[in-house]
Amino acid sequence: MNHDQWLERAEMYALGALDVEEATQFEAHLASRCGLCEDHLRETREALTLVPRSLTPVDPPPAVKARLLAQIAGEAAPVIPVRPRPQWRWWGMSAGAFAAAGLLITLGWTLVTTRQEVQTLEGRVAGLQAELSKREVPLALYTAVINLLRDPSTRDVALRGVEPGAGAAGRFLWNESGEGHIFVANLPPATEGKAYVVWTIAPGKPPRSAGVIQTDASGSGGLHIYPGRSDHPVQVFAVTLEPSGDVSAPTGPTVLVSK
Amino acid sequence: MSAERGNDPARLIQEIASGNRDAFERFYDRYASLVYALALRILHVRSDAQDLVQEVLLQVWRQAGSYSPERGSPEAWLLTITRSRAIDKHRSVRRIERGLPATGDPSRLEGGGKLESGTTQSDARLTLHGALQKMPEAQRTVLELAYFEGLTQSEIAARLGEPLGTVKTRIRAALQRLRELTGAKAPEGPS
Repeated sequence: MNHDQWLERAEMYALGALDVEEATQFEAHLASRCGLCEDHLRETREALTLVPRSLTPVDPPPAVKARLLAQIAGEAAPVIPVRPRPQWRWWGMSAGAFAAAGLLITLGWTLVTTRQEVQTLEGRVAGLQAELSKREVPLALYTAVINLLRDPSTRDVALRGVEPGAGAAGRFLWNESGEGHIFVANLPPATEGKAYVVWTIAPGKPPRSAGVIQTDASGSGGLHIYPGRSDHPVQVFAVTLEPSGDVSAPTGPTVLVSK
Repeated sequence: MSAERGNDPARLIQEIASGNRDAFERFYDRYASLVYALALRILHVRSDAQDLVQEVLLQVWRQAGSYSPERGSPEAWLLTITRSRAIDKHRSVRRIERGLPATGDPSRLEGGGKLESGTTQSDARLTLHGALQKMPEAQRTVLELAYFEGLTQSEIAARLGEPLGTVKTRIRAALQRLRELTGAKAPEGPS
């Protein structure tokens, strides 16, 4: 295949119009770090933004934003990797530099001592903040679950395990306000990189992801689902094992389902 | 920092990645209407499109740290996520609808070609303008089938009853037109 044909495929790939086999071949070509195709793919994706830009923008209802902000308020901030601080490379310094450094150390001793004290205090504050946040989250969670249980319209749905989670069990507290809480037990450990995703399903509607449930070493865990829109009564609750927590529809095996 | 710099999309994503909720809200205000319009166009059902807006922006919040400017603009990143999720959801709905008896749910479309009943007037204005409006109809049709319906070139050929070569030519011409509008140069292959 000459390179013009790869560039043609790059365009079709950006559009998602390649058949599976061609797409696989193109991905293998991209993996060879073909700069021309990477550039062409990127430019085509940019050009394709004109397609949705040709639609008249429509504001979603304010409730969508409110739900989203409530959801992220209940989540920890995304974790970003922190680069380690550069280390001093003492072995690379010349004798003159050692002398200068010694002088600086002598003159700056008081400053260093003060800085150490500040660092110690910073460490203690960080520790206290971490301890406080550990206590705040469960307290808010317990309050939310208790409020859910107090509501007479909250349903208590039993979940049964299905192979590969045959020995697992669970309970789903669900309120049609869209708030709920799921408890699970005896789930097998999720395979490396996979995630247990919780779904609510209303008749005739696509399953809605309610989030990812984390389990401990014994396979127990819980997830609180904060209030969201619920135009259609949920009839089925399920947990599936997915390649990632960000799937928009269930693709993996079901491990728990409502009885 | 100037206000303009504060609303620069790449900068906003960087701030979102560090957990800045205010930056996230500004990002939402800037792009939610675009995401919603695209979701409505693909899914046709307002409630599903609203769910999708929430899912997409949640992904932005959770994965902002994985955004790489070298791989494209924030807008291209966001729209790629939106389109991909919307098409997955659309296919999932279609699979469910094929497997279930008719529910009589009036909000679900039989053919999927029009917006649900009760759609507001502003929703119904999902008309095309700008780049696509001036495109020859044959090119626009194949581009829309691929972009909004997620059909492959072979599926488009089968749908339209046209030879595959014709469909490929039309898609390439449509993409070339878009690339010209964005100022992208024609690629030069290696000698």
